Amino acid sequence: MIKFESVTFIRPNGVVALKDINLEIEKNELVTIVGANGAGKTTLLKHMNGLLKPTKGRVLIDGVDTRKTSVASLSKKIGLVFQNPDHQLFSESVEAEIVFGLKNFGFDEREIKRRTEKILEFFGLKELRDRAPLTLSGGEKKRLCIAAVLAWDPDVLVLDEPTVGQDLQNRLKLYEVINELRRRGKGVIIVSHDIEFLWPLQARTIVMADGEILKDGPAYEVFMDRELLKAARIRQPQLAELSTKLSLNFPFKGVEDAVERLLRSD
Amino acid sequence: MAYMLAEGLTFRYEDSPIHRRDPRAKLLLSICLFIVALSSNSVIHILIVLALISIPAMIANILKRMAKTLVFSLTFSVFIFVVNFAVGYDVMYSLTLALRFIAIVAAASLFFLTTSPDELEYVMRWMKLPRDFVFAFVTAVRFVPVLLLDLLQILDAQKSRGLEVERGGPVKRIRNLIPILIPLIVNALIRSGELAEAMEARGYGAVKRPTSLYVLSFDKWDAILSSLSVIGSVIFIYLSFLL
Ligand SMILES: Nc1ncnc2c1ncn2[C@@H]1O[C@H](COP(=O)(O)OP(=O)(O)OP(=O)(O)O)[C@@H](O)[C@H]1O
Ligand SMILES: [Mg+2]
Repeated sequence: MIKFESVTFIRPNGVVALKDINLEIEKNELVTIVGANGAGKTTLLKHMNGLLKPTKGRVLIDGVDTRKTSVASLSKKIGLVFQNPDHQLFSESVEAEIVFGLKNFGFDEREIKRRTEKILEFFGLKELRDRAPLTLSGGEKKRLCIAAVLAWDPDVLVLDEPTVGQDLQNRLKLYEVINELRRRGKGVIIVSHDIEFLWPLQARTIVMADGEILKDGPAYEVFMDRELLKAARIRQPQLAELSTKLSLNFPFKGVEDAVERLLRSD
Repeated sequence: MAYMLAEGLTFRYEDSPIHRRDPRAKLLLSICLFIVALSSNSVIHILIVLALISIPAMIANILKRMAKTLVFSLTFSVFIFVVNFAVGYDVMYSLTLALRFIAIVAAASLFFLTTSPDELEYVMRWMKLPRDFVFAFVTAVRFVPVLLLDLLQILDAQKSRGLEVERGGPVKRIRNLIPILIPLIVNALIRSGELAEAMEARGYGAVKRPTSLYVLSFDKWDAILSSLSVIGSVIFIYLSFLL
């Protein structure tokens, strides 16, 4: 379990990036985090594997204070994937890129082979295994970054802006990955500005602004609260907006849902 | 740590009587202090020079950031002291050399902390240096903080993949740098490629003598500062040889 106990984080230059954050996330939860630029979302994520330590308060992962353990041992449980693939791809081949993390976490050779095969297969990277990661397309790079983290099978996958520059196929693949992880009882935390991507997930949604959590609730509540969205400077997903305009009690979750309910109602 | 370094090196605009001076006046001031520091040959003289440097630094409100830069140069200066002392010079002489190094760095950083990369560019053009050279130099200076930010993000990403930079023996530690250096270099290359294309797309090199949006202007206060710098340093050097 991930637990923030009145966490405040002040940067060396005096910016208060997190203000008294209290938060509990179960290991099998799907959580999405939204908020304007500079709201503190990435800063929050970096506290989950100990890259950043709170100035005040504490962060507990499975009851262990992040101050009292290493980033590596926390990352084994909480797998963070950052936005820019160019900041992490360095190996001579796609395969080696996946092996890197597995070696760091001390898996033996047989296990490394087994996991690498499995993950290459699942992410459709098998044909690309000998390619240099730097020559891949943006979408392939992104897939590789996620695959490289999932290879060591963390309890929770944390994605910062996973949909930037991704085409339809990659977005669908991302849904697939999320669903698969959920089926296996894993947790997924997603930070994104792409609310149209988040809406169909209907996940627990955390709204951040200026280093604070404004609201923590189900998507259908958060995205129907226009006052809240205005305060957080976030747009309403189109289906939620349509539902608002139609004064529905319960918003359309997806296009199919909308069509079905609209056809039924007339 | 790297963040501190970035902070110390990057120019940040502040509105102070020093920042507002013509960059040529600031350059002259720094050069004068530099020469004075070079010509001082006793601990007392160098301490006076450091005090002199701290006056404009105080006015420009950069004392704290200059101190950070000096903390880094301190390591070199300790090195200078140890080497000289070990070679057989006496303590006072070795100390003078070590302190002189700090004073020189302080004089130079006074200029770089109060002069924006843009101003630097104008001064270099005013000196009639080749345009491509000026551009390359200014771009390099501008890239330093960008590269440091890249470095921080790369470190975070690789640590999240289980990399522990400080683990293992000496060979392993050097190998640990590969996952950090490669993305750093690749990103720098990508950036410079993009920059070159963007520059060309916007007509870089289309005319021999491009015009400038800002024109350097040397006003009364610049003249006063410059005369003070020159006269002050002549007197200082004269007195230091006399006394
Ligand atoms: N390396 C850094 N040094 C100094 N300040 C930083 C640094 N990174 C972020 N900040 C500041 O910390 C605050 C929170 O930034 P953070 O990156 O967590 O925001 P975010 O919600 O992830 O924004 P975005 O949507 O743009 O990614 C901002 O005020 C930002 O300017
Ligand atoms: Mg962010």
